[in-house]
This record gives sequence, structure tokens and C-alpha cells, in this order.
Amino acid sequence: MTAATKLYNPDAVKNIKKEKKAWEEQTFAPHKKRSDDFHTLSAIPIQALYTPADASDLNYMQDLGLPGEGPFVRGVYPTMYRGRSWTIRQLAGFGPPEETNMRYKFLLKEGANGINGVFDYPTLRGFDSTDPMARADAGRGGVAIDTLEDMQILFDGIPIEKISTSLVTCQPICNITVQSMYFANAQLRDLALDQLAGTSQNDFLMETVVTIAPEVLPPRASFKLSCDAIEFCTKHVPRWNPVSFSGYNYRESGCTAIQEVAFVICNAIACCRELIRRGLDIDSFAPRLSFFLSAHNDFFEEIAKYRAARRIWYRMMKERFAPKDSHSLRFRFHVQTAGVALTAQQPLNNIARAAYHGMAAVLGGAQSVHIDGYDEALCTPTELSALTALRTNQILQLETGVTRTIDPLGGSYFIESLTNQLEEKILDLLEKIEHMDGIVRAVETGWIHQEISNAAYAYQQAVDSGKMPIVGLNCHRVKEEKLPMDLFEVPETLSIQEKKINKIKKKRDAAKAQRALEAIASCCDQDGNLMEVIVESVKSYVTEGEISRTLKDRYGTWTPPLF
Amino acid sequence: MKKSIRVLIARLGMDAHWRGSIMVARALRDAGMEVIYLGNQLPGEIVEAAIQEDVDVVGLSTLSGNHMILAPEVVKLLNAKGAKEKMVILGGSIPPDDIPKLKGAGIGEVFGPGTPFRNIIKYITKLAS
Repeated sequence: MTAATKLYNPDAVKNIKKEKKAWEEQTFAPHKKRSDDFHTLSAIPIQALYTPADASDLNYMQDLGLPGEGPFVRGVYPTMYRGRSWTIRQLAGFGPPEETNMRYKFLLKEGANGINGVFDYPTLRGFDSTDPMARADAGRGGVAIDTLEDMQILFDGIPIEKISTSLVTCQPICNITVQSMYFANAQLRDLALDQLAGTSQNDFLMETVVTIAPEVLPPRASFKLSCDAIEFCTKHVPRWNPVSFSGYNYRESGCTAIQEVAFVICNAIACCRELIRRGLDIDSFAPRLSFFLSAHNDFFEEIAKYRAARRIWYRMMKERFAPKDSHSLRFRFHVQTAGVALTAQQPLNNIARAAYHGMAAVLGGAQSVHIDGYDEALCTPTELSALTALRTNQILQLETGVTRTIDPLGGSYFIESLTNQLEEKILDLLEKIEHMDGIVRAVETGWIHQEISNAAYAYQQAVDSGKMPIVGLNCHRVKEEKLPMDLFEVPETLSIQEKKINKIKKKRDAAKAQRALEAIASCCDQDGNLMEVIVESVKSYVTEGEISRTLKDRYGTWTPPLF
Repeated sequence: MKKSIRVLIARLGMDAHWRGSIMVARALRDAGMEVIYLGNQLPGEIVEAAIQEDVDVVGLSTLSGNHMILAPEVVKLLNAKGAKEKMVILGGSIPPDDIPKLKGAGIGEVFGPGTPFRNIIKYITKLAS
């Protein structure tokens, strides 16, 4: 690097280093410190003070650039929040679709910009509400969807051609059917698929590593379903983000910020390779790949993490796939504040926690943000908790002034140094996984799970020992705590879903339903694109459970090496 | 040599969070107990495995909210199969109001979010020996 491209005058840096050393010895050293060991949540050592010397290797235009231009460290869009603030996308879903439909309308009325719909445990796993395994979980953790009729009810009266919808389908086995139902519902409403905008989660790591439940599809099959949905959307639903690589959930399971970014990028690279193998051009789908990250407790590390992720993605995509469209190089992401950082103790404290998390997300340049409800360590958010979270997001957006300039922490010696260090560590991990023959293999061997589990264990030990203070949990506790609010009760779901399923099974054309399932089975056998078939199949009102049963029959199930 | 305490860990129903149950399983193993990790099951299968594996303790985990339905069923089935002596404990996100009801239904102890490993280990060691 020539002196002309260096961020700081090399002579000045030399002098700063000298002066800092003297300061450390004479001014700083004599004073008492709380500890000698300061580090980030992912164990990167933190110095007492950062100076230009810690960021002096940066080549500004190459390493940081300008917003809307590579390497996008300062932001993926030219105007960032000056043009349009981040989308407020509050997660919602519980009980039968009739109830969740009302919550969606409530949030939209109160100023949410888009829907962020989450599905209940049985739906996410491809089970009908009436399955014996599902009987105690229908309507829990999200909304229950069994057939296309439920999807029609869920979005009844909501202008899906005007707002964008995020479908938190998590696992590909859920996504392949639920997303198909969303599309089929639009077609029945006489909307063309290219009018629809939204995102679906559709991450195979969700199915095989993160949220393990009964009857997991083998990693390769789950990965195939994920790629089928991406391919389908690339061809038919160009404004849809067909995958949201869910680092958030990896993080909730226990991994570090470094692992979170390394695993999502590895996953995305694997999808790119597979879609190119299927004959798609990189620029036809890469601009629509999206990411989902956590905002955890370590404020500065989280901000640096988002910035590092943007630089890594830009460089990797460029090197490996040489796309022509610069949109293929932009790391766009949604953030949810860390649920795992919330406490069941003194739950109102979570309002403060989630607000800090949300601020880290927007100082890091997030495209959309969900702020957690204060009661999420105890139950599904009540209407009051959901509204408070929405208002926290709005306060951040309208009152704090964080939207006025782009990447306000860019150029902070500490943030730039941390961004560089995170980048280096993430790249090391990415290389390690590549040597294992990529992410699908690393999942099959149980390595990814083991890594997450080890990090989670270390985290818990740090909390247990008090080394990591958590207010209200291992310090500043309240004796004989009394819960200051009402908790959410899941409305009756199973009997409502059961009634609808029974009615549909009687009413539907049985032969047509049978043919629809056979078409899915033969699509599996011919290795065709399953979403092409399932979007049509769901119109025969086959249930989600019937579809996933067919897939499990064809692909078998897998026992993840968990313990 | 003293026989080590045998613990079965299972996740109730369709709950999809493994973090809590795996962390506790690891902590109990590190504390010298023998741990059998069952994954997701319904009460019938959990009780069957508990009897077959001859465990001292059945540890249930759930964050989905299904605990009021499924956890008491495990106790009931154990009693019906003459395995009343096995201790049943529960971990996960359990609303405080549910805890007395669960204990009334025969759950030995409920460990909510943020419980230190040592509390669980201490409880099991004290009651199983």
C-alpha cells in the first residue's frame, strides 16, 4: 500500500504509537483497574484505548468505501436511513389463523410497515395440528396452518399486493408448503406472483442444527428443498427474498458472533453453488438472498459484526462468482433483538435491554428490525408487550436521531479495529468449513452442532460463575419477586383446527387430493423442483401434514447427532 | 464404587429448543451422572424409556408452553406403571403461576430460565441419593 492510500499519515501514526506507549506507562498504569481482562462476547481482547494506529492499515476506498458502493461496509444503500428508515417488522403469530389475522391488523394499524408471521411448532415441522405428536403444541409459538384455507383466513382483508410479508417458515420442510400456500392464496385472489413482495426463512440449518424436533429430513434433502424455493422464486416471484439465512437462530442456540456470520455465509455460498449448478445465473438470484442476524448484548461487537459481514460477503461473492450486478454483492439483513438475552426475572428490564440491542442493529445498518417484547422469556408477547416493543422501535427511529447520518460509528478507531478482527476470525472459520467439504457435510457429521453446543456451554458457565453479569439474574436480584404483568394465554387452537381439517377432508375432491400427493412423490423421484408442484397441490386442499409425510416417505428421516 | 445417578432427559412434544436440555445434560454428565438423551417424545414413550433404562430421574424440557398438558401426564403414567419412585423434574420457560400447579401434579421441581447448573445438580444429588 502506498502512503497516498493510507488512512493516516504514517509519520503521525508512528508518533501516536510512541505517545500512547508513554501514556500507558506513565499516566494509565498507576491507576487501579477493575480487571486486567476485558474482551468481547466472542473473546476478542479489548484494549483500554484505541487510536488511529489501530486502524492505520485501512485503505479507505478499498476497505470501507461509500454507502451504496463496494465493499458496502458503510451501508448497502446510497441514502440509508435518510432515504427510507429501516422497516419495522414485528414478529407475530399464535393460536388459530383467525386470531393472528386480528393481531396483524392491529400491528399494521399501529404503524408497523410489514408483516412478520411466525408459525407454530407443528406447522414449522410439517405436522398437522391433529397429529398425535402435535396435540399439545397447536397454536404455540406461532400460528397454526394446516391447509390453504388457513392461509386464506390468515391474510383475509390484508392487502398482500401492497405490503411485504415475511414468512418465518424456518425449516425448508415447512417453507416448501407454507410459502406455496401463500402464493396459491395470492393466485386465488387474482394476483400475479410478480406483484408479491416478501421474505421467507427457508434455512436448512434451522431444520438440521438449530431447532431440532421429531422427524428431521436428512441435511441434503432439506438443503434441496431450500434451493427449490429459491429457484422457484427466481423464476416466478422476482420481488421475493426466498431465503433468509438465519444466523439469529444459530445465535439463539448458543453460537458466538463469529460463528453466526461464518455459518450464514457458508450456507449462502453453498446455495449459490447449487443454483449455478442448476443453470441459474448468479445475478438472477443473488440480489434476493437475504440474511437474518441477532443483536445481542455486546453493543460494539454487534455493530462491528454487521459491518464485517458486509465486507466479507462483497469480497467473497466477487471473487467466487464474479457477478455483474452490484446488487449481488450487498449483504442485506433483518435483525431481531436477542431473545436469549432476555430474563424471566424482573421482565420489565427487558424493555431497556431490547432497546440497546435495537440501537446496535441500526448503528450497524440493518434493513429491518424486530424488537423483542419484554415478556418473551415467559410467554408469547401480549398485546401490551407487542405494542411496547413496536413503540421502542418507533422511538429509536423518530426520537433518537440515529437516522440522520449514515454509519455514524464508521471511522471510530475501536469499531474499525473490531470490524477488522471479526472479519479475520470469520474468514478463518469459513476456510475451516470449506476444508470439511462445505456446510452440508459439516452438518451431517454433527460438527456445526458441536461447535454451537460448546459455545453455549461456555456461555452458560460464564453466567453461572457470575463472570458474565446479567442484571436481575446473577446480580441485582429481587427477593420474592412478584410478576408485574399479565402473561399471554394461547387461545384454543386444536379443536378449531380439527373442525376445519375434518370439514375440508370431507368436502375436498378426494381423487384430486390423492393425485396431488402422487405428483409430489413423483417429483421427488424425478428430482424435480418441488415448489413448482406444491403450489398447485395445495389448491386441492391437501394438508401440510400429508405433504410432509410424502416428502419424508421419499427422503427418509435423519437422527441428528445432538448429544 | 457408588452407583452413579441415571438421568433421562427428554423434550416434551414438539418443542424445538435443544439448548436448555443439552446444556443441562452436559452439566449433569460432567457432574458424574449417567445421562440418556431422548430428544422429542410424548409422555408414553418417555415413561417407557425411563423404565427400560432404569433411570432415577426424568428431566423434562419445554419452552413451547405445552408443559401443563404433557408434564403431569408423565407423572401419571409413571405412577400407573408402578414407577412412582422416579423423580420428575422440569425445565424451560414456565410462567411462575404454573409452578405450584405442576408441583401439585407431582413434578418434583421446576427450573426456570437462568437457573444455574449447580442448583439442578444439587437438587438431583440430594434427592436421588
